[in-house]
Amino acid sequence: MEKRPMEFNHLEKWKSTLDNCIRCGYCYEHCPLAKHTRWESDTPRAKMSMLFGMLSGELAPSSYIAEKLFSCFYCQRCTAACSSGVPITDVFTDARADFAGTEFEMPGTTSVTGKECAACLACVRVCPHEARSFQDGVIVTDRVKCQSCGICVDTCPRQAITIETAYGTDRGFLDGEVAAFLEKENGKAIVFGCNWSFYPDLQTAVAPPSNDDEPEYKILINLCGGRLQKTQLLEPLLNNGWGVLVACCPDGDCEHDGNIKAKSHVNYLRSLLETMDIDPDRIQLVQIAHGDKSGFQEAIDTFMERINALGPLIQ
Amino acid sequence: MANIDLPRLKEIVGEENVKSDPADLYVYGSDSSVHHASTDAVVRPKNTEQVQQIMRWANEHRVPVISRGGGSAMCGQTVPVQGGITLDMKRMNRILEINPPDVYCRVEPGVVDDDLNSALKPFGVFYPPTPASSRIATIGGEIGNNASGVRSVKYGATRDSVLGMKVVLANGDLVTLGTRTRVEATGYQLHKLIVGSEGTLGVVVEATLGFVPIPKFRCLGMANFDRLEDAGGAIASIMAGGVSPSMLELMDNVAIKAVNKTMDLGIPDVAAILLYEADGMGKEAVDHEINLMKTLCEQHNGTGIKSSYDPKERTKIFMGRKKLFPALSKFSDTLSSTSLADDMAVPYSKMAETAAKIHEVAKRNNIIMTAYGHCGSGCMHTKILMDPTRQDQWDSARKAVDEIYEYVRSVHGTTSAEHGIGISKASAFQHEKANSLTLMANVKRAFDPNNILNPGKLMQAPENWVTATDLRYMID
Repeated sequence: MEKRPMEFNHLEKWKSTLDNCIRCGYCYEHCPLAKHTRWESDTPRAKMSMLFGMLSGELAPSSYIAEKLFSCFYCQRCTAACSSGVPITDVFTDARADFAGTEFEMPGTTSVTGKECAACLACVRVCPHEARSFQDGVIVTDRVKCQSCGICVDTCPRQAITIETAYGTDRGFLDGEVAAFLEKENGKAIVFGCNWSFYPDLQTAVAPPSNDDEPEYKILINLCGGRLQKTQLLEPLLNNGWGVLVACCPDGDCEHDGNIKAKSHVNYLRSLLETMDIDPDRIQLVQIAHGDKSGFQEAIDTFMERINALGPLIQ
Repeated sequence: MANIDLPRLKEIVGEENVKSDPADLYVYGSDSSVHHASTDAVVRPKNTEQVQQIMRWANEHRVPVISRGGGSAMCGQTVPVQGGITLDMKRMNRILEINPPDVYCRVEPGVVDDDLNSALKPFGVFYPPTPASSRIATIGGEIGNNASGVRSVKYGATRDSVLGMKVVLANGDLVTLGTRTRVEATGYQLHKLIVGSEGTLGVVVEATLGFVPIPKFRCLGMANFDRLEDAGGAIASIMAGGVSPSMLELMDNVAIKAVNKTMDLGIPDVAAILLYEADGMGKEAVDHEINLMKTLCEQHNGTGIKSSYDPKERTKIFMGRKKLFPALSKFSDTLSSTSLADDMAVPYSKMAETAAKIHEVAKRNNIIMTAYGHCGSGCMHTKILMDPTRQDQWDSARKAVDEIYEYVRSVHGTTSAEHGIGISKASAFQHEKANSLTLMANVKRAFDPNNILNPGKLMQAPENWVTATDLRYMID
């Protein structure tokens, strides 16, 4: 397909907004991408700066910039934290629209459909952002609309959908973290938290060696409850874990309706455990309001109390 | 553009820790200031040895090196005006030791302030300088700028908490400065010199920091004033009144209007508000201090006085001050909140007069400015709200900045209280320190004879900050 030239038809309207960004950096405290790579270039602030650079002519459009812009999980924590009230992800979406169809367009974190696709259209039906469609016999992802929630990845029966660069949120990475933690002497449970419901602070410092007991649980950020696969939720139990807690948004708060899917998965698995004569409380779900750090900790403490009362899965 | 040997840098820190795409070089050319200048390479060292190797190479080839933490500097401190290598220090992020019996901790420079305080909390202690940006500000950056925050009135600035440090010099040599003890009598305390040197004397690779107990009781009060002079009188009386506030904050009417315009917090539209706080391990002592501050406010016609120990109520009382920063940014669609004349310190007795002077200068120059700050430590902050796309607004801003700092000097104040000098306040700094600039240049030469460490800042920055670098705005 012929590529169109790069024009800033959508981005132009944000010119004064880019001035209003004071580049304080408060946005990147919460950004899962920035926290994973720890490069300035992956922060929302830097992406805003790149957009400004292109509009001002100081920076030439490039695939490198496009890759940064198409890499965003739309958790929107940056927008919520912005001290200047800049709707950061809306700006990114318009910038994506300008990049779409040009020679620079890149996948970033948007979902990609592989050759294994059987065109069952399940992903088209479940996509909460109407980003997937069936055109000329193939599934097409609208990279401007795709918010990388990953719900399609879990839905595909052929495992044909991937998010190529997942910044530590992909199944393989998280499974590795689960196994490594549960190998530890005190490792008992895994808590999956979405980036919105769980308020993780910056958490980038490496703590000094401690003589205190290691924590009994590990919090893993999976971005959205909707990304968790059923088999993924069983991984901790298969690795001798005592239990799994899923934290997601309250009803109506999730941008991707991922909490509905997470609830469905957890309910299914709890029923499954019951049929196997295993206490269903080993898998629980809690809905945490944005920023409610203490509520989240209380939920974990209650969960751990129950898990400790149940003891190990294999006595 | 400096001639950078990327393969050599990659050899030192690993290929994955060097960036050289134009977009990377561009974004590392900004901080929270009005300035911009692209860097030539970004390098992330992991340990002291790597920093030493980088410095040896840079010194040999006369390439500038700018160390950078969270990138939240407000005066252009990390903007690489002469290009060179930007050292992103965030990989050196280990808290090396927390030593409660000896009341110190050792950290690498990339540790974020809030992370350190989270780690200290279980020991019942905290690291007090804590600027407003503590969520992203690194200890290294705080050392470079001698950062402080709302509680500096009682607990001091970064310099007061730094006991010692390890520093890589321009030639790659490693020196250990200061001690791990609370006191150190004589000799040149060079670690104190490094604090506030904005990366111009060396690269801090480890810091030994003191900490203090978390107070059991904390009470926050608030008083309204119909006249700015009365609020100023209350500030001076409190600071001379045998009381030790843990916070004393001023908000002027422009600040109050800005908050009220953008959010409904029910703040009275008065000339000024004072927020005062006392803390301590005994409630009786905190009660005494709060009551004394309340009486002093009343003596200066303070009204609507209230106070609370309850954390939720305290948060509510402080909300107007907390929301001021975003409120200024959202003040108008056509005006941007710029970090100019962003801080200064004046004697307590001049706080109200300084606020009034800021208003007068702003009006005369057709810009909007507010006055707020940690008046308990004599610190006054402001922002210039202006249309950054208009050249005449920059001319006005420059004139306003000059006038304000001329006034500050006339009342024996100082150019920067806690944000630093960088580029945008360098002209005022050079006027203030006129008779010690040569001495400072000699000190700089002793540490860095080839002038490779963050050149073009402090006494080296040009008089006209508007043209010192590209501005980060598109001017029509």
